[in-house]
Amino acid sequence: MAELIKVKALKKEYKMGKITVPALNGVDITINEGEFVAIMGPSGSGKSTLMHILGCLDTPTAGFYSLENEEVSNMKKSKLAAIRNKQIGFVFQTFNLLPHMNVQKNVELPLMYGGYSKRKRSRMAKKVLSEVGLSERLKHKPSELSGGQRQRVAIARAIVNDPAIILADEPTGNLDTNSGNDILGIFSELHAQGHTIIIVTHDSYVAKRADKVINIVDGLIQEIEETQKTDATAGN
Amino acid sequence: MAISLKESIIVGFSDFWSRKVRSLVTIMGIVLGTMSIIVVLALMKGINAQTLAWMMERGGLSKISVYENWNYDNPLNLRDYFTWRELELIRSLVPEAKYFNPQEREWVKFAYEGKEYRSAVYGVLPDFKYIEEWDADQGRFISEFDVSQSNDVVVIGTEIKNELFGSKDPIGEFITVHIRRLQVIGVMKHRFMKNSGPVGNENGLAYMNRRAFVPLSTMIHKGTGEDNIGSFVVKAQDAESAPALREKLESIILNLRQGKPVFRVESAQEEAEQMAKNQRTFQVIFFVISIISLLVGGIVIANIMLATIQERTREIGIRITVGARRIDIFIQFLVQTIVVTIIGGILGIIVGLSLLDLVSKFIDIKLIAGPEMIIIALAVSAGIGLLSGLIPAVIASKMDPVKALRYE
Repeated sequence: MAELIKVKALKKEYKMGKITVPALNGVDITINEGEFVAIMGPSGSGKSTLMHILGCLDTPTAGFYSLENEEVSNMKKSKLAAIRNKQIGFVFQTFNLLPHMNVQKNVELPLMYGGYSKRKRSRMAKKVLSEVGLSERLKHKPSELSGGQRQRVAIARAIVNDPAIILADEPTGNLDTNSGNDILGIFSELHAQGHTIIIVTHDSYVAKRADKVINIVDGLIQEIEETQKTDATAGN
Repeated sequence: MAISLKESIIVGFSDFWSRKVRSLVTIMGIVLGTMSIIVVLALMKGINAQTLAWMMERGGLSKISVYENWNYDNPLNLRDYFTWRELELIRSLVPEAKYFNPQEREWVKFAYEGKEYRSAVYGVLPDFKYIEEWDADQGRFISEFDVSQSNDVVVIGTEIKNELFGSKDPIGEFITVHIRRLQVIGVMKHRFMKNSGPVGNENGLAYMNRRAFVPLSTMIHKGTGEDNIGSFVVKAQDAESAPALREKLESIILNLRQGKPVFRVESAQEEAEQMAKNQRTFQVIFFVISIISLLVGGIVIANIMLATIQERTREIGIRITVGARRIDIFIQFLVQTIVVTIIGGILGIIVGLSLLDLVSKFIDIKLIAGPEMIIIALAVSAGIGLLSGLIPAVIASKMDPVKALRYE
C-alpha cells in the first residue's frame, strides 16, 4: 500500500516565557493509505500536538513531514489552508460545529472555502448527511441534536470533501457508551470504504478498532503495535 | 478557491441578523452621524438657496452700490458726497454700465389730512426701477420728463399708503412731504420676503415698503437746495461683469478724492461670494462635527467587533480548521463591519431625510435634499466601516487555530 504520511525526526517545542517546553522529541511514523491508526498516550504526552501537526494546524519546529508525497513541513500558511480543506477531515471531542448555522450549512462550510458552487455544495452535503443517517435533520441547529447526532454531523463535515485522511481527536470522549459505539461503527465503516483514519485517544477500547496503535509518552514513540485485523463491522 | 465577496456579504448579513438587538445598538452611532450629515448638507443647500434668492430680490447680482464709507474718518475733510457734475463725469467714464441711478435720501415727515408718518424719501432717476427691478404697481413711476421739469410728484411705498390713505385710492392726491406739497403719481409694488432670522420683522423687505421716491432734480432744486448726492447705484450688463465694473468705478472715485477711501463701492456679486465664503466656514465646521460623531460611532463599532471576535474565537478556529485562509477570515470580518456601517448609514439617511421638514419648521429655513448627499453619506459610513473593521479583522485573521479551538 502507498505511503500516505511519512514523518521523520519530528520535533515541536513551545516557548513559555524563557523556558522552552518540548512536546515532541523526534517522532518517526509511516502511515499507509487505508490504514486505521490509533495514537494513544496519557495527557501531556504530545499526542494532540502530533495530531495538530499531522492535520497541518500547526507546524513542527524541526523534522520532516510529507503527505501524499508532498513535503508539508515547510509550506506556506495559505498552502496549508488548502491542504486542510482538501486532504484532511477533522473530528473533535467537542464536535466544534458552528452553533448559529444549521446542520447542512455546517457540513457545507469546507465546500464554501473550497470554492464549490451553491448547488454542488448542497448536493454534496445532503449526500454525506444521508450516509451518516441525518437526512431528516438538515435544517436543525446543532443545539437541537443529541451528542451522537452532533458528532455524526462533524463526521459528515470531515468527509464531505473526500479527504485523504480523517483525523479524530477523542471522538467518543463526550459521548455515552451507546453513542460512542455508534460513532466508532461509522469510523469502521469509513475504514472499510477505504478511508485512512487516525484516532487520537487514551481509551484502549477505542484503540482496539485500529489496525495499528502508536503509543506515545513524553513526546517519544514508545511502541507501535499491530493489532490483529478485526472485522470492520464488529461492534460492542 | 477562496470564499467569494458575495459569500462574505451574505455571512455578514446573517451575522448582523442573528444578533439583531446588539447590531442595532452597535450602529446607533453611525445612524446618528449619518443623519446629522444629511441634515447639515441639506441645511447648507437651503441656506445657499435662500441667500441667492435674497440677493436676487434685492436687485440681482449685477448691482453695484456706491455710498459713503462710514469706517473712514476723513482727516482731510474731503467731500463725502457727489455733485451732479461729478456724477455726469463718472457716468461718461463707464459706458458699459447698463443703468445708472444717483440717489439722495432725506428723513422727512409725510402728512395727509391730519395723518402723519415719518420715513425716508429718495431722490432718484427713472433708471431706479430697472436697477432695483421694482416698479409702481398702481399709477406710474418717475419719468424722464418729471426729472427734466423737476415736477412736484411722489411715488410712495405701500406702508406709507396704508398709514396715510388706508383703503382710499391715493393716486392724484396731494400730500405734504417735509414742507412741500407733492402729487402722488404711483404706489410701489408691495415687497415681501419671508424672514428666516430669529429676530426682526416677519417681512425681510418691510423697510422697502416704508420708502417714497421723488425726481432727484425736484429734491435738489426744490427740497434741500443743495447739490449733494450721497450715493449712487449702477447695474452692470450681467453678474459676471459686475466685479470688473466695480473695480473700475472704485478707481475712478478714488481719483476724484485724492486716493482716499471716502466711498465704498460694493458689488452684489462679490457680496454674495463673500457671504457664500463666510457660510462655507460654518458649513465646514458643521460637516467636521458630523464626521467626528461618525468617527466616535466607528470606534464603538471597532470595540464591539473586537469583543465579537473574542467571543467567536472558537468559530474562527473551526473555520481555519476546515480550510479558511487568513485572507478569508480577514475579508469576512471586514465585510461584516462594512455591512453593519452601511446598514447604519442607510438608516441614518432615512431618518435624516424624514427629519428635514421638522428641522425646517424649527429654524424657518427650507432644507433641501439632493442625491449627492445620499452618496456622500453612504461613502462616509462605508469608509468608517473600513477604518473601524480593519484592526479587528487583522486580529481575527492572525489567530492560531490550535489555541482558538481550545478557547472556552
